[in-house]
Amino acid sequence: MAAFMEDALVEARRARDAGEVPVGCVFVYGDKVIARGGNEVNVYRNATRHAEFICIDATLAYCREKHLPARQLFAEISVVVTVEPCIMCSAALHTLGVKEIIYGCENDRFGGKTVVDVAAVVGQRISIIGGVRGDEAMALLKEFYKGDNPSAPTLAKKKK
Amino acid sequence: MELLEEPAPPPSKRLKRLEPSIRIKAILSDDYSKDIPLVPAYSCQLESKQQLQIVIKELSQKLPHFQHLKRVNDRNVLLCPTSEIEDTLEQHLERLAFSEEVLQALLRQIQVVEVPSIGPRLRTQYEKMLKYWPCKFHPDHYYESLQNGSNFSATQRTFHNQMAQLLEKLSTEINSKQPVGICVDPRGPSIVAIAGSQMDSKNHEHCPMSLVDFVARSQKGGALTTTEQFVEEPGEKLSGIPKNYYEYLKGSDAFVHLLCGAEVSRQSSDPIAGTDNLSKYGPYLCTGYDVYLLQEPCLMCSMALVHSRAKRIFFLQTSDNGALLTRFQLHTVKELNHHYEVFQFTREQDIS
Repeated sequence: MAAFMEDALVEARRARDAGEVPVGCVFVYGDKVIARGGNEVNVYRNATRHAEFICIDATLAYCREKHLPARQLFAEISVVVTVEPCIMCSAALHTLGVKEIIYGCENDRFGGKTVVDVAAVVGQRISIIGGVRGDEAMALLKEFYKGDNPSAPTLAKKKK
Repeated sequence: MELLEEPAPPPSKRLKRLEPSIRIKAILSDDYSKDIPLVPAYSCQLESKQQLQIVIKELSQKLPHFQHLKRVNDRNVLLCPTSEIEDTLEQHLERLAFSEEVLQALLRQIQVVEVPSIGPRLRTQYEKMLKYWPCKFHPDHYYESLQNGSNFSATQRTFHNQMAQLLEKLSTEINSKQPVGICVDPRGPSIVAIAGSQMDSKNHEHCPMSLVDFVARSQKGGALTTTEQFVEEPGEKLSGIPKNYYEYLKGSDAFVHLLCGAEVSRQSSDPIAGTDNLSKYGPYLCTGYDVYLLQEPCLMCSMALVHSRAKRIFFLQTSDNGALLTRFQLHTVKELNHHYEVFQFTREQDIS
């Protein structure tokens, strides 16, 4: 599964190029990527459009298209994401009951494992493995936050 | 469901008495709401108060414990937590090289007493602690007001209660008794967005998630595809309010007077004078906005509202998976980079 981190990193770089916080994610079903995405917070003015949510919505669309039951499909999904899912995303992934989460670097500001024990609050445990190509994921974030932060209020209003 | 109905028009004098039957209760962190844990500590009793000065002077240098407590209670003096001592108290004090005079004074009538482990934050905690040992106390007036409910003015309270009534009405009359949420710019106060969750919604499509997206619509954003039809007016002022909710408001005697609409996104990114970021920079996510929810939000939604930088969350009903009171209090996690205040509407008789 860790091999799919390359796909997630591709999405993170794509997000960076679009002026978003560089986090990327893919959902793997069997041995196939069925959903991929990066953060889309700034473009939609919606702070919940994290890479994981882009993939959740894409997976639901996939289920509709293929006439598959979403609940059962999520139970087979491996989530591969460059940064530890935040509390919101982690809560969503636990509630949806995905098979496992594989992430790159830790999120010490609002990680769903590091800051709050989401599994304990939601009441469901799933397998979570961190530290897969974490240095590369962290390097992307550091590079991003060194520059102007486009999520700051004054810059968010700028038109392209 | 009846609980938030306006009381039948009573004689004007009785209205005042009936109004506070709904309380807006602040959900504070355990630091403010729980009893302070006690720890066992050694105390001694001085022979006379004349010894106090010299004893306190040496104690503060050699055993600088209990900064949050008064060191002296009449002739009794606190020495240290019992957990501090590995051998015997006497040996411990000797090692610290107290003067002979003080050492003698400290070893008189040694007792183990229970004392507060940390300082009290609120007066109620302070008063409870006094029976154990005198504490230092620096009241925080804002937190006192949150706890005793005096933080809102009568006008604000009336508005919040109206939002509570509106949530119930919208849920029962428009949204088949499913959850609804309202986002308000408190400067009006003016309704920015309204969202309900649908009966057939997926696991993660909860009403606060739609609500923050509808707020985004009022800022030229919004990502979700929704079946809702929105108010079509020039500009995006009303674009966070679905048409059916808006028409209900405008056709209802009780709510027709409520202001609706968001401040539109500003052209300039230069700050103007203001007391908070909403006034200074204009709308950005839910900065400075209040969110009223029929149901206590789950962990996912509670964190979505943190990411969205909402100012205050008000809710009516607890949820089994609620993350602001029932299962967790996300807003009390210090590590997070944003903290909103949380209030629950409660009936008077619910309060102990």
